Amino acid sequence: MIDGLLLFLLMLKAALFSTSGIGNLPILHQDLLSRGWATDRNFTESLAIGQISPGPSGLWVISLGYLLDGLRGALFALIAITLPPLLVLVVHSFYRRYGDHPATQGFVRGLGLAVAGIFLVVLFGIMRDAGFNAANGLIALGALGLGATRRMPVIIVMALAAVVGIALY
Amino acid sequence: MPGVSDRKFAESIAPAAVSCLSPWQQLLIWLNIGIQSFGGGAATLYLIRRAAVEQHGWLTDEEFTRYWGICQISPGINLVGLSILIGWRVARWLGVALALAGLLVPSAAITVALTAGYASVEQVPVVRAALRGMAPATVGLGLMLAYTMARPLLAAGWREGRASLATAWALLIGSALATAFTPVPVLAVLWGGGALAALAHWQLAIRQRRAS
Repeated sequence: MIDGLLLFLLMLKAALFSTSGIGNLPILHQDLLSRGWATDRNFTESLAIGQISPGPSGLWVISLGYLLDGLRGALFALIAITLPPLLVLVVHSFYRRYGDHPATQGFVRGLGLAVAGIFLVVLFGIMRDAGFNAANGLIALGALGLGATRRMPVIIVMALAAVVGIALY
Repeated sequence: MPGVSDRKFAESIAPAAVSCLSPWQQLLIWLNIGIQSFGGGAATLYLIRRAAVEQHGWLTDEEFTRYWGICQISPGINLVGLSILIGWRVARWLGVALALAGLLVPSAAITVALTAGYASVEQVPVVRAALRGMAPATVGLGLMLAYTMARPLLAAGWREGRASLATAWALLIGSALATAFTPVPVLAVLWGGGALAALAHWQLAIRQRRAS
């Protein structure tokens, strides 16, 4: 069964070692799935809710926390994502001194590329859970296309996808 | 370095100039942002920028961009970090607390409410159908997100030359392969990727300096 405190620590660790609202996804995904505390389905759902609800999309962790451990999980998730960004104040002063060094710039770039690469693998997992069929492929491509226009709010894309889902199934 | 001391000076005198808003006013501003920002990061970023730079003059455009860059490399959600930096600038720790409260508390509450609502309707066939439609959409949007993440980094590599571009691609593909097919933990892939890139970039910079 899920240990509330350990869940908090895992979420804190993931948030600490990520640099964006989605950077904690790969770490959390690995930690929670390996313990059998969450499924790909949980991630898919909380990510979708994170997109729809107001505020940064990084709040999807709060949704996941609630799915896995109720209000306590949600509260722990909120704390877990609020604490690490406080380090920005430390990075701010570090950056003032070392931001122009090529190693710093290289590190930032490498981190971003690694996050993107791992993220692709996670997306693959979500797709596999949903099923590799024509309908899903078309919906994914459609969402990609609409997202690429940058003019369509995410919530509208998700609403359209929901309608398509209802129509199909 | 010429720019650094100017920046430090400007930021050291800034706090006194901007904390003329009462805590309640600040909280309201942040609450406004937190509640209105449907649709994820872009909307929130836009709202923060509009409030902080245009409406209340808390920081200049240049400072905003620099803060945003710092948030990208700092731990955690970028927008939360940005709010902390701006909150600090306006009213130190009180400003940070107000920014976080306004931005996060209502949004988190709504997120929980949506999740709870979902949990009670997840068995309803219509809802299941809708979710089956939304899962691949999340993947499509996710691909878009991965593209926006990776493209500027690859473009920077392309600008710097073949070696840099090859390194960038190798990092992207290598991290994906390492995650998918080896038992290397994600954290190691991230730190490893960052460290390798730091070294590579540094070496390339040295070589370019020698060549010019």
